[in-house]
Amino acid sequence: LSIQDGSAEEIARVNGAMTEEFVDEWRNAAYNCYSSGHKFCREVCPVMQVTRNESWTPTAFHANVVAMEKGELTVEDVAADYVNCTQCGACELRCPNTLFTGDFYRFRTRTVDLVKSVRALAVDQGIHQPGYQRWNLLTEDRKHEPVLGEFTCNGGVGGVPISQDHVADWAEGLDIPIGGETILFVDCEAAFYRTSVPRAVAQILQMAGFEFGLMREQWCCGGPAAEMGYVDQAKRFARHNLDDWRASGVKRVIVLDPHDYITFTEDYPKYFGDEYDVEIVLAVELFAELIRDGKLSPSIPIERSITYHDPCRLNKRKGIWKEPREILRSIPGLDFKDVDRVTQWSYCSGGGAGLPIEKPELTAKISDSRLQTAAELEVDTLVSACPWSERPLSEAGEKQSIDVVDIHELLAESLGIEVGGSRGA
Amino acid sequence: MSAVAAAGIDDRALEELAQVVGADNLLTSKPARLHRARVPAPFPVHKWADHMPDAVVLPASTEETAEIVRIANRYGLPVVPRAGGTGLTDGAVPFRHGILLDLKRLDQIHEIDLEDRTCTVGAGVNMLKLNEVLGRHGLIYPDDPASYPCSLVGGRIGTSGWSLVGSRYGHTRDLVLSFVHVMPSGEVIRIGDGGGRKISKSSTGYQMKHLFMGHQGTLGVATEATLKLYPKPEAELSPFWAFEDYESAYRCVRALARQDIATFAGAVLFDEEKVAYLRRDDEAYIPQPENVRALVCSVLYGNEDEVRAGGKRLMRTAREHGARYLGDEISEGDWAARHDRYATPLHGRTKAGQVVPMSWHCEDAAINWSQLPSVRREWHAIVDRLRRKSDVFDDWGMFAYTSARTGVDYLTEIDVGIWEQELDDETWAMWVQAKREIASVAVAHGGSISTCHGACREGEVDIVPEELGGAYDVMHTLKRALDPNNVMNPGKYGLDGAFEEDLK
Repeated sequence: LSIQDGSAEEIARVNGAMTEEFVDEWRNAAYNCYSSGHKFCREVCPVMQVTRNESWTPTAFHANVVAMEKGELTVEDVAADYVNCTQCGACELRCPNTLFTGDFYRFRTRTVDLVKSVRALAVDQGIHQPGYQRWNLLTEDRKHEPVLGEFTCNGGVGGVPISQDHVADWAEGLDIPIGGETILFVDCEAAFYRTSVPRAVAQILQMAGFEFGLMREQWCCGGPAAEMGYVDQAKRFARHNLDDWRASGVKRVIVLDPHDYITFTEDYPKYFGDEYDVEIVLAVELFAELIRDGKLSPSIPIERSITYHDPCRLNKRKGIWKEPREILRSIPGLDFKDVDRVTQWSYCSGGGAGLPIEKPELTAKISDSRLQTAAELEVDTLVSACPWSERPLSEAGEKQSIDVVDIHELLAESLGIEVGGSRGA
Repeated sequence: MSAVAAAGIDDRALEELAQVVGADNLLTSKPARLHRARVPAPFPVHKWADHMPDAVVLPASTEETAEIVRIANRYGLPVVPRAGGTGLTDGAVPFRHGILLDLKRLDQIHEIDLEDRTCTVGAGVNMLKLNEVLGRHGLIYPDDPASYPCSLVGGRIGTSGWSLVGSRYGHTRDLVLSFVHVMPSGEVIRIGDGGGRKISKSSTGYQMKHLFMGHQGTLGVATEATLKLYPKPEAELSPFWAFEDYESAYRCVRALARQDIATFAGAVLFDEEKVAYLRRDDEAYIPQPENVRALVCSVLYGNEDEVRAGGKRLMRTAREHGARYLGDEISEGDWAARHDRYATPLHGRTKAGQVVPMSWHCEDAAINWSQLPSVRREWHAIVDRLRRKSDVFDDWGMFAYTSARTGVDYLTEIDVGIWEQELDDETWAMWVQAKREIASVAVAHGGSISTCHGACREGEVDIVPEELGGAYDVMHTLKRALDPNNVMNPGKYGLDGAFEEDLK
């Protein structure tokens, strides 16, 4: 289906068919939510917590589909509402339909996929959110997300222009080869903004004797485009990356960013099916294993009082919460005030799924709220494992005098590595 | 603004509302209005658009709320308060459009008083979130409905909700000490036991707390509440027992309630249809031998010494009544699960056995123990007739909960699955008639139509005058006196009748 040419009538017909196809796909899932009416998702939703706006809740996102089926609403009526979601997945975990009836139906509430689908439906019908549109145009142009703003060629933060020529600048002096069976994939935020994270990861890998290289021509993973509804662009970027991997015989990709981890383990398999035979390794899991096996021994004490922020895409989306804690408990000197993973279902940085692009004020509020819970523990440091969370959390941390540190940076320090790079602005 | 014009609310009124709450907190888009018309099903979905408010306002203070109500009086606009929107009697559903007063931004915890063990919160605060904060002080606010993770304090007051563990700690009416109340005129008063904010016993003047709780928004709206707090219990015991028939379980549940155990928080009786339904369709149900046909669970909360002693006595009593204890693992797990959801798998079956997504509807009459078997027979017969007429309906069995420690009466619940996707005017009319019949059975047995939901949904509401008799006339008198312009949630509880007399 395409709406590029044709009369207004033709466009309306094509849009109508697209909406119908969408409603067909989602109607039962939407009814499962609508007919329960429980709304257990509401108070764990990070956006709801700071806005108290019932139109921006997982139940509303499902009910809209019912209303579309009844002819009460169109995608145009609701497209802007779907901006208000970080795709953190807390609602899915808290949903009684997932918790108690999932096995029976082989059913799971999939709010994140629903939000992505509505955003895609809107884009396909030419309904754009201005921030998302601009962001994806710039990404298309530069092959990386404009994480340093629009005019970084003239300097910007740290003076690194966002372009293919500079995507591996973070690795300066580390002698990492190009290609090989195992490569390290670095997301846009870490490659251009928080370069200390990939530097930490790369040097820990080197210390453990791991052989790895970098991509020949790395583009953005495409995940953010998919999250914002620009699916064709996401697929083109994915295609490029997979082709690059195959051309240089890559069998294994190490990722340090939870968002990349989702994209490579959920989106790419959907795009490529059996053709996609690449092993994806998450750095946090790998490092926990190396520590367990005695191949990494953090020994330099770090005198900090910390708590850990479970990144949504690890804890809520992938159930990964043990390994980061294993790593933190292995670092001497830390006073670790842990908060359990279930309590953290209702925590978020607000940095996901393009929320800071369209609603930076909401991201800031969500991060402020997250830092408030950290401050109540009387810690001096909040440790995260997601570069995308670390910018908004750091900004909120400044107000509370709480330092926001990446888990890889902390591990590297305890291993005696001089990390280098930049921790952002 | 075209949606607004179509909705027929005066532009000047809208401007005044925007001045009070700020333009960002006045919502007029169709999606925003549709979402504030919804409550848990059966709503019904095929009449959703009929119930849209004209505008939604989200006040951030008592003063803003009062000003909204004053504007409504000036323009003669209906005001429908909405907190969590999880109520089961359509209290938050606008019958006449108008202004939807969404209380969710009143979500501040104003005070935690560790000296006198109270806290004061906005009406938009959720109990689970509140308890996350109180837990740090070793305290708990034990208002514990099935909607605990999502309902809000303001809605609990407006519906005078009931608590699953109320035999131990009391219900909303006991736990809310006082509240700030915006009257239908817009005047702001404090309602409580006497005048003190944190007083639980007083014989000064009329006792008005009950009157201004459970009115479903027809007598104003609470904006801030002072709550009684308890120490977080050290211990919980939640045994489940199996029985071969309803009769034995029925006798056992009474015996448990009569033991006069101070830590006793409640007991629940599952009838044979309920167990059959869980066995048929609940994946969370842990398989039991076929001769298990009824269940009882009970729960104790308190300090370890007392819970242990009370538990022994409870176990002995159950054993003497032929109960088979299901073991610690099932008991702990199942209580957590039942407690944490509305206890239904949210699907049912057609008569041919086809699994279909269904919403859950629950009737909640208060019935004396002696009348339970008879009510049970008649209620199942009503739902059985419905089911024979249409596959839209499925009988999901009954629960009976103790509502007081002596076991004088029971929250008696029949759960009906409704296949909403297939609901139409004809099946809806069948359902409304069945609700009338269900309510009539409760009243005929000397009970009350509703223990905790309220009784203003279609069908049941027709039987309210019969239940209340002369007291229903007093409701009319009060409504007319306190809300002369009929702005507060008009149309609910048949209270329009109060104004028809004026018209004569």
